[in-house]
Amino acid sequence: MKMLITCTVNGEERTQLVDTRDTLLELLRDRLGLTGAKEGCGNGNCGTCTVLVDGAAVCSCLMLAREAPGHDILTIEGLANGEVLHAIQQAIVETGGTQCGFCTPGIVLSAKALLDANALPTDAQIRHAIAGNLCRCTGYGKIVEAIHSAAATLGGR
Amino acid sequence: MASKTSSTHQVVGKRLPRVDAKERVTGQAIYPADLSLPGMVHAKLLRSPHAHARIRSIDVTQAQALKGVLAVVTAADFPELPVGLTIPMGETGYDMWMIAAINMARGKVHWVGQPVAGVAAVDAHVAEAAVALIAVDYEPLPAVLVIAAAMAPEAPVLHEHVFTKGVEVRPRAPSNVGSRTVIARGNAARALEGAAARQCIHVEVDTAHQGYLEPQAVVAQVDANGFVTVWASTQGQFTAELMIARMLGMPQSRLKVVPLEVGGGFGGKIAIHGEAVAVRLAQKCGRPVKLAFTREEVLQGGSGPPAGALIDVAVGADHEGRLVAIEGTYCMDAGGLPGLSPSLLMQASAALYQTPNLHLQGYDVVTNKPRTEAYRGPGGIQAAFAMEQAMDALCQRLKLDPLEFRKRNAAVTGSTMPIGTPFPSIGLTTILQRVGEHSCWTDPLPKGRLPRGRGLALGYWRGTSMTSAGHITIAGDGRPMVTMGAIDLSGTRTTMAQVVAEEFGVGIGDIHISTGDTKSVGYSDGAAGSRVARTMTAALVEASRDALAQLSRRAAEKLQCRSEDLSYARGVFRSRHAGGPAISLAELMQATLTDGAVVGRGVSTKLPLGVEIGAHVCDVEVDTATGQVTVLRYTAFQDVGLALNPAAVEGQIQGSVVQGLGWALTEGFDYGPDGRLRNASLLDYRMPTALDVPDIECVIIETPVANVPYGVRGVGEVPIVPPAACVANAIARATGVRLTRMPMTPERVLRALEATARP
Repeated sequence: MKMLITCTVNGEERTQLVDTRDTLLELLRDRLGLTGAKEGCGNGNCGTCTVLVDGAAVCSCLMLAREAPGHDILTIEGLANGEVLHAIQQAIVETGGTQCGFCTPGIVLSAKALLDANALPTDAQIRHAIAGNLCRCTGYGKIVEAIHSAAATLGGR
Repeated sequence: MASKTSSTHQVVGKRLPRVDAKERVTGQAIYPADLSLPGMVHAKLLRSPHAHARIRSIDVTQAQALKGVLAVVTAADFPELPVGLTIPMGETGYDMWMIAAINMARGKVHWVGQPVAGVAAVDAHVAEAAVALIAVDYEPLPAVLVIAAAMAPEAPVLHEHVFTKGVEVRPRAPSNVGSRTVIARGNAARALEGAAARQCIHVEVDTAHQGYLEPQAVVAQVDANGFVTVWASTQGQFTAELMIARMLGMPQSRLKVVPLEVGGGFGGKIAIHGEAVAVRLAQKCGRPVKLAFTREEVLQGGSGPPAGALIDVAVGADHEGRLVAIEGTYCMDAGGLPGLSPSLLMQASAALYQTPNLHLQGYDVVTNKPRTEAYRGPGGIQAAFAMEQAMDALCQRLKLDPLEFRKRNAAVTGSTMPIGTPFPSIGLTTILQRVGEHSCWTDPLPKGRLPRGRGLALGYWRGTSMTSAGHITIAGDGRPMVTMGAIDLSGTRTTMAQVVAEEFGVGIGDIHISTGDTKSVGYSDGAAGSRVARTMTAALVEASRDALAQLSRRAAEKLQCRSEDLSYARGVFRSRHAGGPAISLAELMQATLTDGAVVGRGVSTKLPLGVEIGAHVCDVEVDTATGQVTVLRYTAFQDVGLALNPAAVEGQIQGSVVQGLGWALTEGFDYGPDGRLRNASLLDYRMPTALDVPDIECVIIETPVANVPYGVRGVGEVPIVPPAACVANAIARATGVRLTRMPMTPERVLRALEATARP
């Protein structure tokens, strides 16, 4: 069954016909063309589909598209300010916290949710915040380092 | 070529950010699943529910009749390939009969999840419904699920055509043992008998998974003339092209493979998995087809996991702690199709020790599980889990410090490798010395509430060289535009841009680099065997020098002097005469654009090997009440020849170690008696999260390889070799108990502790 929904994605109001079976991830990727969120497992175990829903990190594969109305959704495509990367993105570039890149959008958004709530997290708090985001390439060390560095940059403002 | 030391380089050896990092952090990097083409339809595969069965018939009429279904394919849509057909790849070629079978079963299925049919439909929901309407009549056969059962004389035989290779008397009956490989010198059995101290170990390693986060995905399109374009996530676009072409019986000139980003490969994306099926569906329905696997498909037989193993090792030493013999038997689980060669892993496990007597034998064993494939130093971690524990136990028996034992027995440049030839230049002695000086080894183990131990293990991986090609076109503004035949699996765009920038004496920002498709760049082998950075460096050094030679001739003409009177540095040709003329690359190209293109070409085919050696040290804590093992500290020492980019090298080592820790402690496939994987999800197949691992400290050592540009060694594979043994050795030192089953899950650790505690 199809239905028409309206929700806010990256600050823009979007109206879209969806299949009632569509997940938020399918809405974003297949219907809105926002492919930055990835499908690594489709059942909330890997975190590659992480987006922010009203500021909270959410696995978009676990939320239905029809639940999106009334919510403010931020995807990785909406984070940078034009050519200027967000501090977390910039820090990951600089430390080497991205390799294959498949987990990166989700990690960046989980980190954003963390830093929005806790400006100066400890190592353990960072590791806890990204524990739902699997990364198979980096061994996590450089990602944790990048999030510390971004916290310092943002805190310095 | 003489290697310069890294300090004399301007760009090579620098800790630079990835040139493709921005598209990764902004979500702009494109993987095949992200691609949408006008008119594109979606494919799904029907997979075998049986571990072993004969296919009596397949009826697709109902599926074909479903509204929205555009095409259905089975093995009947592909030419039948003969057993023994290979395609060129590296030193041994690649078994094409096996590749065909992992993509589409014919006549029999050999594991749960093996594809038996494919459907293309207007959307994925319809494709899934259609797959359920395909009726397959199976005759289930007895399944053989573990190595020991498959090797038993009365075992049901999986393949009637498999007769064990490598045995002295040609076998009369087919067998589940595809081959026996022996590497030997001296008389190991006799030397072990006479040894002052002996140690044996028997280990069992569960099948695991590479765990790349991107499930296999492909988009295929056929144009009006029948020309095929495939957008793939592959470790080697040329290998993928060959495999697809052979599987479809089509000429390679009618097919182009465009490599997109690879969301992790680690060996699991060398072989095609569904690409040829997507092409056949696109041919049949005349529309672009996307095939994307679910995670469950990836784990449940849709991809090639690394091999489980049964390994026996015996080692013996004299009173002074010098090895007299190494004996090893390696039974490797090939999964449902034969052809896994254990030679490299056998060599790897014994390579770092000098011993007068050596006897290694390996078996390629088929079982009714997914055909296993490569995983980062394939077989290395399994073999090291046995060998490095045997060595550690021997040290305990001899009451000898494990580092001192390694120093006494370490292979050195020129000592005999397992295959009988002398070692090329290696830096193991330096590595061991650095371990001995480092705080990870000299600091006393911090006391804790629970038992703690410190482990040491070595790792070796030979790697390979094979073929790499690239070309450099000089843009109108004089900047080098690089196209390489390798995909970027491990930061290759960045390190290769550094190499070209170094050769041209320009900044990395002046280099444009891309991975070529199979019709835009010369043949290159895939990203495997720690070969790409080394061999592509050689190819691009050659291409840079070719382009600069052409530019030099052009500059000489322009400046009206002889080419040999010109010097080149930092993007400028200059007359050697004082006050003579000069011209920059930008000026030169602007002035000579209409003289035609400047294209430098480079190919590397037989570069000397850049063997990888590492030593790891870890501290662990064992919770004796729960069996939980916590890794407190981990340090990896590795000789990389020269670090093209230290940040990239650390990233490779850290990621590789953490993968090793995953298999060591939590990652293992759990098969039920029916051959169905019981943990086919990323919740139940438990890979390390950020909470499970400490920071991995890397100590980079640089012993350059002779006759290799910049002296580069392989990097990415060997760091996964020692971790399981390193952790096991630390557990043994913490608790006095040797773990012989991998992964060393809390349950297994607890059982082992209890078994030892019992009188």
